[in-house]
Amino acid sequence: MRAAAELLLVLVVLADFMILGTSRLTTCIRAIAFQGLMLGLLPIALTQHWSLRIAGLALGSIVVKSLILPWLLKRAIREAAVRREVEPRIGFSLSLVLGVVAVAIGFGVAQRLPLPEGAGELLVAVALATVIMGFLTITTRAKAVTQVVGYLMLENGIYLFGLTSADRVPFLVEIGVLLDVFVGVFIMGIVVFHINREFDSISSARLTELHD
Amino acid sequence: MTLFFLGIALTALGGAAAWLLQGRRRIADTAFAVLAVLGCIAGLIPAVGALAGRAAGGVAWDMGPATGIWAFEIDALSAVFLLVVFGVGLANVLYGIAYLGPERAHRPVGGTHFLTALFLAAMALVVTARATVVFLIAWEMMALTAYLLVVFEDEDRQVRRAGLVYLAATHLGALALIAMFALWGSWAGGFTFDALGGAALPAGSTAAVLSLALAGFGMKAGLVPLHFWLPGAHASAPSHVSGLMSGVMIKTGIYGLLRVIQLLGGIPAWWGWVVLSLGIVSGVLGVLWALAQHDLKRLLAYHSIENIGIILLGVGAGALGVAYEQPVVAVLGFAGAVLHTVNHAVFKSLLFLGAGAIARATATRAIDRLGGLARRMPVTWIAFLIGSVAIVGLPPLNGFVSEWLVFQGLLAGAAVGGPVRGAVLGVAALAVIGGLALACFAKVTGIVFLGEPRSTAAAQGREPGAGYLGPMVALALVCIVIGLLPPLVVGPAMEVAAGIAAVTPAQLPAILDPVHRGAWGIALVSGGLVALIAVGWAVRRALERRRPSAWSETWACGYAAATPRMQYTAASFAAPLLRTFARFSGIRTERGPATFHSHPFDLVLERVVRPTWHRVLEVAEVIRPVQHGRLHTYLLYIVGVLLALLVYLWRGAPS
Amino acid sequence: MIVWPAIVTLVWLLVVAPLLPGIATKTRAWLTGRRGPPLLQLYFDLGKLWRKRCTYSRTTTWMFRVAPLTLLMTTLGAACLLPLDGSHAVLRFSGDFIAFASLLALGRFALVLAGLDTGSSFEGMGASRDVTFATFTEPALLLGFATLALLSGSLSLTGMFGTAPTPAWTAGAGHVGAAQALIATSLFLVLLAETARVPVDDPATHLELTMIHEVIVLDHSGPDLAVILYSGAVKLMVFGALVVGVLIPPAALSGVRAVAALTGGLVLVAALVGVVESATARLRLTRVPQFLVTAAALSALATLLVLLQ
Repeated sequence: MRAAAELLLVLVVLADFMILGTSRLTTCIRAIAFQGLMLGLLPIALTQHWSLRIAGLALGSIVVKSLILPWLLKRAIREAAVRREVEPRIGFSLSLVLGVVAVAIGFGVAQRLPLPEGAGELLVAVALATVIMGFLTITTRAKAVTQVVGYLMLENGIYLFGLTSADRVPFLVEIGVLLDVFVGVFIMGIVVFHINREFDSISSARLTELHD
Repeated sequence: MTLFFLGIALTALGGAAAWLLQGRRRIADTAFAVLAVLGCIAGLIPAVGALAGRAAGGVAWDMGPATGIWAFEIDALSAVFLLVVFGVGLANVLYGIAYLGPERAHRPVGGTHFLTALFLAAMALVVTARATVVFLIAWEMMALTAYLLVVFEDEDRQVRRAGLVYLAATHLGALALIAMFALWGSWAGGFTFDALGGAALPAGSTAAVLSLALAGFGMKAGLVPLHFWLPGAHASAPSHVSGLMSGVMIKTGIYGLLRVIQLLGGIPAWWGWVVLSLGIVSGVLGVLWALAQHDLKRLLAYHSIENIGIILLGVGAGALGVAYEQPVVAVLGFAGAVLHTVNHAVFKSLLFLGAGAIARATATRAIDRLGGLARRMPVTWIAFLIGSVAIVGLPPLNGFVSEWLVFQGLLAGAAVGGPVRGAVLGVAALAVIGGLALACFAKVTGIVFLGEPRSTAAAQGREPGAGYLGPMVALALVCIVIGLLPPLVVGPAMEVAAGIAAVTPAQLPAILDPVHRGAWGIALVSGGLVALIAVGWAVRRALERRRPSAWSETWACGYAAATPRMQYTAASFAAPLLRTFARFSGIRTERGPATFHSHPFDLVLERVVRPTWHRVLEVAEVIRPVQHGRLHTYLLYIVGVLLALLVYLWRGAPS
Repeated sequence: MIVWPAIVTLVWLLVVAPLLPGIATKTRAWLTGRRGPPLLQLYFDLGKLWRKRCTYSRTTTWMFRVAPLTLLMTTLGAACLLPLDGSHAVLRFSGDFIAFASLLALGRFALVLAGLDTGSSFEGMGASRDVTFATFTEPALLLGFATLALLSGSLSLTGMFGTAPTPAWTAGAGHVGAAQALIATSLFLVLLAETARVPVDDPATHLELTMIHEVIVLDHSGPDLAVILYSGAVKLMVFGALVVGVLIPPAALSGVRAVAALTGGLVLVAALVGVVESATARLRLTRVPQFLVTAAALSALATLLVLLQ
């Protein structure tokens, strides 16, 4: 595998760590946008022969993953006036340590999988690690926006798996997946937005009154 | 071997003398001290001889059908542990004579001295026994004498309870060992260690033996999560007994593991990984829990768990080396484990003896009530500081030498490649352990000895007598000698390790040479450091003579009415780290309107062992009616069992 | 065996070391639109302090007086183990990187005890924070070394830095390049923490409650303080040399050119410290462990990358 692709993959993992380690929602979104950009560049770095297909795939990913989706999420935060802090159920340091464990698992599994020739163990390892860290984000963060970010990480991981056989997966399937995610996030964005709007007017003090 | 048995006999005789003559205190003490010194020296001679290559031949007696063959032998591995038992043990025993002196006002102490001597003898027999039954007899004798020593201050409910937990735990461990030896012996067709070692075991049986060994010996060594008996027992015992238990007794668990590895020959890789992981868990959690403690001796007890973790890191690396057939890794790992065992025995005993001196002088073990003892107990302070620097694993003392070896064992795979390189992850754990240990001993030495006294008790601290200081100074000197001259010990440790890993002499020089050069490098670094600091000290003395220093109060940002109570406390010192590790740190906090209390508790004991125990009691309540004291029902039980056995035999038991 | 080039290099670097904090401060001042103190400020400070006499608290013991010396000697000892001239360290043996880390730890231990020796709460607080952060820098540092050991197959610093073939991170053989970049980043974060720089600590703060390193040495004065300040500069040089050494393996060059490259690299690292200081705010104290865990995570990632290879 080429050095450039390796560096991109490492940066993907770093973005994962950033999402796990940060306490700010905006940093979270910035990191996932950055990850999207890296993923968009990856097909270009990986391919041996250029084609319109690859370029389209790269462009599509970059536009959707690093521009539109982050923009939607940012808008959701702004409109819903959410507090801009991640609410983790476990500490940030522990999240990071678990992240390292996830990477270790990814590497361990990648070494044992029967992979097609030239698929690149690093690619599979990073894909697995990203999926696990996506799950971690979904399960350990309370805010709806961070959950969406977690889903995006999951999707990015699956996308990376797809890249192991980039030449074989039909272009349309890729685009279909992209579209799927786009619609999914769009709907979730709206849901998040509405949940926040509905509940914004009820202060937590009033909620405790309900309890008695 | 004759000398060895003579040593044991003399030591036991000394104990008996202390007991029988306890009416005349001076004669009793002198007799015990002289006989113990002679006995330990007699025991040390064959050990040193075995390490120098003159192995004493083994002895074996057939003791009839009940207990089979009793065999004893001193090889290099036994010799290392004998050095610990007799060498470090002697220091503790001599300290004990002085330490228990003031107790005579409350209770007779002769019996305790006798038990201490028996305890020492039992440990010596454990590490030399070469047959299953005699090994287990010595093992139980060691456990029981230790129990009786732990409950020395039996008027205290806490002490009785700690003793009970210890007794239950140690018997659970012994159960696992009996099962292990029984299975192994039946497979091997003999119960001497030679028979066990020579046998070809059926497939899958190695796993059973190794698992039971880890459970049984691990319980004695106190590795997490089997450590729950350890802090209570070590904190409750008199200080020299704590030193013996922490420094010597728990090492018999390590001895057992190493002996099993040696006898089995081949080790499956999974077991190496399990041991390595247990080492990481024990090391990190042990030192973290130590940091949370407020009681000086409990803190030291938790540090024993940490150090067992470090030793297990070495054992794990060694086992991986054996499993993946990488002699370099195996030898370095085992050598680190063996050397750290010795070193830990020395500095942990030293620290416990220091803690005992502090407890005697100030009548408290609460770290936050002490302070300013460096001026009042200068020799104790220097000895304790030496122990602290050694246990943190810093140059120029002995702890550094063994941690250096363990580090290399974990990393030696780098040069050879293959899956054994994975052991490198232990490096991160060892680094965290080092950092936490530094924090913990900065807290202990800083709060206990430096600053101003935090209570009147601490202000009354006075240097204890020579009976206390002698053993401490001797142990401190050992720390310094090993630290400054590591080549003295690294070579023998590597040879012992080669014996465990069954590395042929032909392979050895290639492994030994770089490490030997490294040991000289360390000697140079440590010696150079000491020399440079000495030169610097001379320079500043000259400078000070030219410009005399001024003396004043500590700067408190202009606040002039600071009192000793305002000094930083040990609890606050540890707080940031404990907060970072959150729920793993095992500390409970209580906030009042103007108060703040933190209580350390043992996570395993309170969250796992106690609930399990209560569940067991509940179940026991259900089957209680079976036992109601009527004789004929018992007879019925006996008849029932007999009938069942007869039926079993009649149906044809497997021959 | 005495290696003269290594000794000469070491002496040269020890002479220029006090320049590095000056460069960092100057960069920070420029970027924030101030003129800042002169580059040679630390030399002036050291000279001034050396001529003064010491003032001691009556609470303190010999520990307080031996601590600055221990700090200086351990830092110098650590510097001796680095292959600064590209091929040789003054002292090298198998496992010397452990001695490197432990020597620095010993210096810290001495200084922390000196802080507690004064019996002041301020010093106690600083000491507590210092050991807390050190707990997290140790694994980052040692994992970095471990990874270098895996890459080079050598257990000595000279082997790790001195014998790497080429600046491998452009060649991209295996995952060497990515791993080296990760280690360098991690070591730089460790450098910021170990030398008490923003975002972990702020050398320019004047409030005792928020200080970490500064407050431990609050009671030190005169030549003692000079020794501590100088040790700090040497420490910056040592960690800077580690970062530079990972990025430009000194063996790629030789002799004077290696030393020149290292010196230039050190200046750049110091300037980078200044850039970071002017661009970021100090972290909340409870967030610092997280920052350092990140550094350790980067090192761990590098280790995994190399293990997979």
